[in-house]
Amino acid sequence: MHIAEGYLPPLHAVAWGAASAPFVVHGVRALSREVKAHPESTLLLGASGAFTFVLSALKIPSVTGSCSHPTGTGLGAILFRPPVMAVLGTITLLFQALLLAHGGLTTLGANVFSMAVVGPWAGYAVFRLLRSWDAPLMVSVFFAAFVADLSTYCVTSVQLALAFPDPGTGVAGSLAKFTGIFAVTQLPLAVSEGLLTVLVMRLLVKSSKGDLTRLGVLVSGGRAARKEAAAR
Amino acid sequence: MLPIDVAAHSSRWRRRHPAEKALLGLGLTVSAVCLPPWPGAVVVAGATLAVLLGPAGVPPRQLWRAFRIPLGFCVTGALPLLFAVGGPAGLVSLAPEGPADAGRLLLRTSAASLGVLLFAFTTPMSDLLPRLVRAGVPAPVVDVALVMYRISFLLLDAVHQVRQAQAARLGHTSRAAVWRSLAGLGATAFVRAFDRAERLQTGLAGRGYDGTLRVLVPGAAPSRPFLSGVAALLAGIVLATLLLERYAL
Repeated sequence: MHIAEGYLPPLHAVAWGAASAPFVVHGVRALSREVKAHPESTLLLGASGAFTFVLSALKIPSVTGSCSHPTGTGLGAILFRPPVMAVLGTITLLFQALLLAHGGLTTLGANVFSMAVVGPWAGYAVFRLLRSWDAPLMVSVFFAAFVADLSTYCVTSVQLALAFPDPGTGVAGSLAKFTGIFAVTQLPLAVSEGLLTVLVMRLLVKSSKGDLTRLGVLVSGGRAARKEAAAR
Repeated sequence: MLPIDVAAHSSRWRRRHPAEKALLGLGLTVSAVCLPPWPGAVVVAGATLAVLLGPAGVPPRQLWRAFRIPLGFCVTGALPLLFAVGGPAGLVSLAPEGPADAGRLLLRTSAASLGVLLFAFTTPMSDLLPRLVRAGVPAPVVDVALVMYRISFLLLDAVHQVRQAQAARLGHTSRAAVWRSLAGLGATAFVRAFDRAERLQTGLAGRGYDGTLRVLVPGAAPSRPFLSGVAALLAGIVLATLLLERYAL
């Protein structure tokens, strides 16, 4: 869920923009280095960003009977790493604000923080952790997408609770209210996104193993991989 | 292309410098966010609608189609403010100031969304992106954004075609079939995106690609009278809000 244009008070909008800035700057530096070293990767990165944009336009059925779209942050982070996702996510959110009237410019910082920073980092951390424990690829992918989706919505709830504290119970009451509302829809959606990401990854392993190997997705990094490397 | 971008390409203000339109659209958005929602947001919304439908020449139907999306989000976003959680009134109760807070938020978000729509409806992405380099955005990021922009439309088109083909093969008849189709759609988009990138790379390599995408940008210089008009409009909005707040309400 994107926070709509004008939803946040000015101070909050500026503060979330400042919080996102270091991550985006770090991503921009990583992306610039990559492009300078390999000019041809501009096209690959552009294609990756376009894929993220299109992924967020897919409608997925929810267990509650409603319909929503995947955030794509988990899959994006697994495929392209969180620093690059911070930049691609920011551009995607900018396109969504200007081309689809979805999200906003004054709330761009807040949306970037939840969707392009926290979601990808949380999802990627879970993916790497599970892979280092030799968890199967698809299990790691499911939990990465699930956690990325859920953490995005948790951060959005915090952002909304801070902006609109409950008159009686303050930020805590408001946080309970927003997480309660999101839990009804977002828990099933996070499960849905996890399942969809697994299905997409299964097809990608069959059809694009070369690309996944180049992106380092298939490296386990666990004990089995270390033993294999030592044996070589 | 997406409807807003199509409208921007055929806009009456297409040839104006994006900085002028950014100052106007974003100035109105920032005014809507910073001024008191009542009467500030109402004044901003009125002025923005007048500019959109008047000098900018945006067709009302197109504007409504684009505006109803953020309006839906604004209404849904304002609903939680009607309720309070915990306290002496019970676990969930109606917030005493809820309707007023929700109304103020609805006014602010609606007015701010109109400001962004004014910019989006008059400025095509292809005019805006190349100019971001001069605004200090690193060139590699702008190049990636340009490629993203161009490949996105091709991908959206491909996804639309694949979805139609899946529907024709009864791919949406049951829940299981919908899941299989969606997974296929996501994977196809990934494969197509990378395939496009490789083909684009081959084509550009044949034309001496050195890592920089050079595109022609329609020449336009910021107009002083237009910028003065924008400054006057924004100052007028602030003044009208302060006067209305002080004397009329």
